This record gives sequence, C-alpha cells and structure tokens, in this order.
Amino acid sequence: MAFKTLSKSEKAYIQSSLQASSSFRSDGRALQDYRTVALETGVVPLANGSARINIGKGSDEGGGTEILAAAKLEVEDVEHGDGVEGGRVSCSVSCSPSAYPFASSGTLDDLQHDYTSLVHSALSHPSLRPANLSILRGKKSWLLSLDLVVLSDCGNVYDALFMAARAAMWDTKVPRTRSVEYRASKNRTGGGTGDMEVDDEQQSGLDTRQVKAATDFELEDYWDEGEPLAGRETWPVCITLNLLPRLHFLDATSSEEAAIPHRLLLAYSFASRSTPTLQGMQLLGPGEVDLVHIKALIQEGEKYASDLYTSLNTKLKDEDIRRTDKARLRFAAVR
Amino acid sequence: MSSRIEILNDGGYRSDGRRQYELRDMTFDMSEQAGADGSAIIAHGLTQVLVSVFGPREAKMRSQTLHDRAIINVEVSIAPFSTGDRRKRARGDKRILEFASMIKATFEPVVQTSLHPRSQIDIFVHVLQQDGGVLQACINATTLALANAGVPLLDFVCAVTGGVHAAAPMLDLTTLEENDLPHVTVAVMPRTGRVTLVSMETRLHVDRFEEIFRLAGQAGSVLHKEMRAAVRERTKGVVDAMGSGLRTSDFAEDAMMDDT
Repeated sequence: MAFKTLSKSEKAYIQSSLQASSSFRSDGRALQDYRTVALETGVVPLANGSARINIGKGSDEGGGTEILAAAKLEVEDVEHGDGVEGGRVSCSVSCSPSAYPFASSGTLDDLQHDYTSLVHSALSHPSLRPANLSILRGKKSWLLSLDLVVLSDCGNVYDALFMAARAAMWDTKVPRTRSVEYRASKNRTGGGTGDMEVDDEQQSGLDTRQVKAATDFELEDYWDEGEPLAGRETWPVCITLNLLPRLHFLDATSSEEAAIPHRLLLAYSFASRSTPTLQGMQLLGPGEVDLVHIKALIQEGEKYASDLYTSLNTKLKDEDIRRTDKARLRFAAVR
Repeated sequence: MSSRIEILNDGGYRSDGRRQYELRDMTFDMSEQAGADGSAIIAHGLTQVLVSVFGPREAKMRSQTLHDRAIINVEVSIAPFSTGDRRKRARGDKRILEFASMIKATFEPVVQTSLHPRSQIDIFVHVLQQDGGVLQACINATTLALANAGVPLLDFVCAVTGGVHAAAPMLDLTTLEENDLPHVTVAVMPRTGRVTLVSMETRLHVDRFEEIFRLAGQAGSVLHKEMRAAVRERTKGVVDAMGSGLRTSDFAEDAMMDDT
C-alpha cells in the first residue's frame, strides 16, 4: 500500500492489460517475473548481521523498493530480566517518511505497526528460534533484535522485508561464549574469597553450559565474530500473490498494487526441501476469495517461494564467500 | 576503556591515526533515491547520514502555509542500529525534535524561501551510522540534498565539529573523542563567511573558544571545496545524461559557484 491513488480509468487500464490474452505489464515483465533484486550483506558495521536490499533499481519508477535490515544481539537475564529460556527474537519495522512522502505521521505509524506485527509474528515464532541463542541455561540468553528500515517503497514491500530479514539473519554471527564458574580456592582456607576459574579449552567437548555452578560467562577472544545462527536456512521467504479474477502475478509495482483488489501473503519456511511449512499467511484487501481458490494459490505460491529460496540462498552464499573467504585470502596476501 | 586510549599521543597522532587538524575521509553520494527530488548520502568516516528532500511542494497541512515564503519541515530519524547499544527512539523523542529544530534553524536563513510562497520544503534526515559529528554530517548532507533538489540557496552550509584536548584543538571528532572532550559544532557559509549555527553541549573554556571557532571556520572552507566538487560532478553527470550541448567551460563561468 504505497498510498498511490489511481484514477478509475488508470486502474481499468492496468487491470485490462494484465487480463489480456497475452498479459502486458508496464515494464515488460511476464506475470511471474521479479524485478532485479540487488542484495548486499554486512552493510552496518555496528550490527551482528545486516543486509540492504533493493528491488527494481533503475527501472522507470524511481529507485526501487529499498530496505535496510540489521540484527543486533543483547544479553538478557532470564531469572530477573525479560529474558526467555533459550533466547528470543524481536523484530521491528520503521518506515522512513521519504518512502511515503504524502503520508501523514499518523498513517506512517499505523503502517509501521502493520509491518512490524506481520514480520514479528512470522519470525519470532518458537518453531524458528535458533538453537544457539542460549548462553547459560536458566541464567543468561541472547535477545536478537532485528530492525528493518523501509527507505523507499516502490511496491512489493512485504517480499522485500522478508528477504532483507532473511539476509540479515543469515549474516548474523553469535559471539562465542565460555561459561565461568566461581569456586572457593582450596589453598586458601582462611579468606573465603572466591577465585575465578575459567574452563579450559580442552573441556569444550563437554557442554560446560550444563554445569549448574556456572554463574557467568565471558566472551572468547577469537579471530572471527562468532558462529552463524543455527538453522539459518529455515528463515522464511514471503511471496505476495497479487490477485485478479482468474490470474495472479508476482512483484507488483506500486501502481499495480493500487490497481488490484486483493493480495495474498504467504511465508514459507524450507526446513526440509521436500516439505516446506507455511509460517504465515495474510489476505490484504476488501472482499472475499474462494477457499478452493486459496488452496490452489498456496500450492502455486510454494513453487514460487521455492524458486525464490533457491536464488536467495545462492546469492547469500556468494556474499559469504565475498566477505569471508575472499577477505581471508586478501589478508593472507597482504601478510 | 577510554582512559587507556590516548586522545592525542606524544607524536601528535589521535586514536585513529589522524593529526590534530585532519578531517576524516569523506564520501558524497548524490545519486537519486526513489521518489525524492534530491538526496545525498554523506559519510564522515564511520558516520553516515542519508537526507532526502521533497519540494518545494504543496504543504500537507494547508493551514500551516505562509503567504510570502515557503516553510521548511525537517524530520529526523535515527536508525536503532546506528550506535553500539541498540536504542530505538520514537518520532516524538525530545532529542530528535531538538536535532530537527537545529537543522531547521540552520537552513532557514540560507534557503531562499521567499521564492516559493505558500509551499513547503520537506527535509527527511536518516542517521544510518553514528561515530561522532552526527550534526555536522546532517547539515552537510542537507546542503547537498537541497542543492541536488534544485532548491535555491544563498550559499553552501558547511559544518565541522571542533574540540580541545588539554590545550590542543582538534577537528572532526569521533565518538570516542566526543565523549571525553569539550566540543562545538560550527556551521559556516564559506562564501560570505557568515555563521549559521554554533552548537555546544559541553563546557569549554572561554579562552579556547575563539581558536576552535576560527579553526572550524577554516575547515568549513575546506569542506566547501569538496562539496562543491561533488555538486559539480553530479551536475555534470546529469547534464551529460541529458545530452544537452552545455560545454564544461560554461560551468567555469558560473559566478555563483566560483565566487569563493
């Protein structure tokens, strides 16, 4: 909803050209084509993981939909603070006023809230929670807060939000921690002051987090920023199906979004390639859609989501190589 | 942590390897951001700010328009991930409003608002990364974005932060230095030599003020050179893209741009 208002005739023009026997779109795409998607990870130096995504830059309609996503990790206290055993994920979306230059600040707040609730409910679900967000069982855990900023909206902002979120999560590195235990020193019986002992590296095969006595942790000093989030392949991808009677199309521009009655958002998670799970679903727009029709659309959407998932993973792996392997080689060459 | 890092060591180098009066690496990106009439991304070292300008256009609230000039509306948003500790500031946050009003007050005497009566110029500032000198980055980026949008300006506004360590003045402070030193942000109009903003939130000895103030003014003219070059390059790119037959020598004769 880019707050683009179209005249009736303009709407009719867009609808009829989409519904023509060989459908036309203003930028010459086929119905199931995406615009060019540009993605870069590691754009925010102070975040644990970040990504910038742009859909459709350089097309005639402005600079495309652009979203900046960054994930930051904070330590939370499980016993006394807001922490949850095993860590938690919290998402928030903010829209820049320049993305919606004609919206009032109230509208902008509503829109932010809508986006936030959709993304948060899909990504913070316990079924997607990464396994390595726990630091000390029952004591400390990581809070992963993901912030998304919509810098500009030229249509299809939902798919872009999920892609940006997925890329930022993929990029997130959880710092390595080592649990610390306080033991009364046996040599000095008098003082009663505790000596701090740090677990040896050799013991790391045993999960020292299980030790009940561990009360605190320290960050390991290591050459990289940590290990990636566990299960980073499972973060969902979202497909927006733009519905017209008898047809649907992908990646609508803002004027196409304004011309169609319904949109169906489907978020799939591909934990196992054969049986993807539907992590979120929302129908936008007034009116009603047949249940049979919806069922068929879910099947179709799964196919598109699978394609998007494959290409997104390819790009993210490329980015990993660009940022880690190549950087390592360059470092080695300099040395 | 900061007690162990020397702000200025015996060799005359600062914690990031700069000399006393050295500015950080600057990058200017004036390429088009979706929908905006003019926009600019400026990076001073690790501080990065994006500004989009819309207008002059019809005001959202017609009742606020003035019959003899345009109104300037500044909205600032600070990305929650821009600092070391994540902190989300709401739109109505006092600090943000103050920041916006400072930017607005800086540009009100510079933008020729009387040329666009009954209209509004929107300036949307996004702080993407913070590492000291956020206000200076916002002001410099706003200047470039306004120029890029073709809003008539009397002059560039170039802002620099100056601080003093013991008796040694320094320019363009990082967060680390800002936390420890008294500092002042000065925005100058280099062509006329006027000052549109002096902002200080710390205490500074009155004897030191003049020196820093003078230095910041000089640094402003250095910045002006860089910013003018960026504007020219952008304009040249746009003109070339239009394919119009404007020769480069026409630019050299531009009295407004060259009259330093």
